[in-house]
Amino acid sequence: MRHPIADLTALVDGALAPARAEEVEHHLASCETCRTEKERLLAALHVLARLPPSPEPSPFFLARLEARLRDEPLPEQGGILSRLAARWRIAVPVGALAAVAAAALLVVRVRAAHEQEFARNLPLFEDYEVVANLDTLNSPEDAVIAANLDAIEPAGVKR
Amino acid sequence: MPPDPDAELFLAFKRGDASAFRRLYERHARAMIAFCHHFVRNAARAEELAQDVFVKVYRSADRYQPSARFKTFLYRIASNHCLNELRRGEYGARPSTGPEDEPTDPDSLAGTDAGPDKTVEARKLEAAVQVLLDRLPDNQRTAFVLARFEGLPYDDIALVLDTSVSAVKSLVHRATVTAAQALSPFTGDKSEEVLS
Repeated sequence: MRHPIADLTALVDGALAPARAEEVEHHLASCETCRTEKERLLAALHVLARLPPSPEPSPFFLARLEARLRDEPLPEQGGILSRLAARWRIAVPVGALAAVAAAALLVVRVRAAHEQEFARNLPLFEDYEVVANLDTLNSPEDAVIAANLDAIEPAGVKR
Repeated sequence: MPPDPDAELFLAFKRGDASAFRRLYERHARAMIAFCHHFVRNAARAEELAQDVFVKVYRSADRYQPSARFKTFLYRIASNHCLNELRRGEYGARPSTGPEDEPTDPDSLAGTDAGPDKTVEARKLEAAVQVLLDRLPDNQRTAFVLARFEGLPYDDIALVLDTSVSAVKSLVHRATVTAAQALSPFTGDKSEEVLS
């Protein structure tokens, strides 16, 4: 059996499987090198046990932690989306209102632009309606002419 | 898995019982400060880190699965937070971790956070352990602290580090071998490590 050095720490920690622990112990019984190494590791652990205890929490630790947690929403208030919504509970309605207002303004402006365009080209539309009502669009050529009424210049007008 | 009272408290907190979370942090505050202290060796900073950890745990309630022990959940968050803190580089450059390093001479070490009631020997030992922890790679350091100071079994450490038990066995062993070398002035051991 090779020296089971890599298992010695787990052995002293009681973390080896029973069968493996038995094998290692059996080896140790006949191997001074491994026994020495095991003692060296154990000595280090005994030194660590002599360390002074860690510092006591300051008297303000819990108060400070509670102050930090005071602003945190409880998990009962929902998952991450709900928590984000809670965090932005003021911003969300304001944002939604702003979006609705912007959409309404856009509709009004688009409608106004359409009406202005219609008014600007009213004579043309009237002409087109007259032509259409005359039932004269019998050929593709007529349709092309009707579609380009705005490009047709009155007779006698020169550019 | 045996019943985990901490997990019960945390589940109660998830259902909206704020007092359950209070009982949890009252129960674990001291251990958590001590754990963080092993990384930053500064009492005030360790308290801040411990508070950060509890706030993170609070915010992570939605992610907690009842199948996991609360303690491993807590220490996983704490380990990541402390290692991130170390990586920010405010705690000094790390000494070499090579095997050629000599055991630390305790007389050359200055203690930190040394209270007036501590003996000179205790301060030297604390300083030597600080140097030891600083020279360990991150994963060895975390495994070593969890095993030696927090008393977690290997399988719990594996859950905290999200690795296998055999990997934990190796991490703890290598760190303990380094500790045996670094702390030899306190053990009276004059021998060098024979095998590796």
